[in-house]
Amino acid sequence: MTLDQTFAALSDPTRRAILARLAQGEATVTELAAPHGLAQPTISKHLKVLEQAGLIETLRHAQRRPRRLAPRGLMQIDVWLAPFRATWETRLDRLESFLADTDTKE
Amino acid sequence: MPDTQPFRVDAATHSIHFSRWLPTTPDRVFDAWTRPDLMSQWWDPSGKVLAECVIDLREGGVLRLVNAGQEHHPFEGRYRTIERPSRIVFDAMGATGTILITPEGKGTRMTLAMLCGSAAHLEQFVRMGIAEGTNRTLDNLVTHLA
Repeated sequence: MTLDQTFAALSDPTRRAILARLAQGEATVTELAAPHGLAQPTISKHLKVLEQAGLIETLRHAQRRPRRLAPRGLMQIDVWLAPFRATWETRLDRLESFLADTDTKE
Repeated sequence: MPDTQPFRVDAATHSIHFSRWLPTTPDRVFDAWTRPDLMSQWWDPSGKVLAECVIDLREGGVLRLVNAGQEHHPFEGRYRTIERPSRIVFDAMGATGTILITPEGKGTRMTLAMLCGSAAHLEQFVRMGIAEGTNRTLDNLVTHLA
């Protein structure tokens, strides 16, 4: 899995809705298809994209094959964003202290 | 209704959002973002004063920020919209930055949105930001060792 795949997977509203649903707990293909009014094969295609991107995984419970979020895929995005976020958080912290200092001087 | 989540990535719009509440007036926040003498003081996360800060504050005007010791990595952009004291929009590094400044309580809500054209673009944009962060880390190391 690559970040390109991950971002491509996230760039579709149905797939994001599926992730949002899975954030509340595991669900089967039937359960995931219900709110979208889409045929199961269509949902299965979306699930395949999400699984290949490392964002979800398939569990094996007897006859059921529920899907759930794959924390590692989501963590990958977080890890990738962390330095960028740190740079901007530090920059905005500095703006905040700068404004606090100059306000006091007045 | 301003966005008050401190940090957020919106995959639907390929954008990154920061939000801060500041105990000061909108005018002062606007000045900190638009006056070279003020912006030079805080922009560089490493804490140094900017080596160069050009702000041509008008629509179509140029923005150029250069961190000390990183003359080969300028942050260059162009202003799209200037509405004192509430809104600054600029294009830089291939993305569009929007700063919204609104009174909130006894202070000011400042939100910063960075909007990219596509998911691939967002990825490239953050990679450039990581390059910036990495340079800073190396600089800090050099300062620490000196």
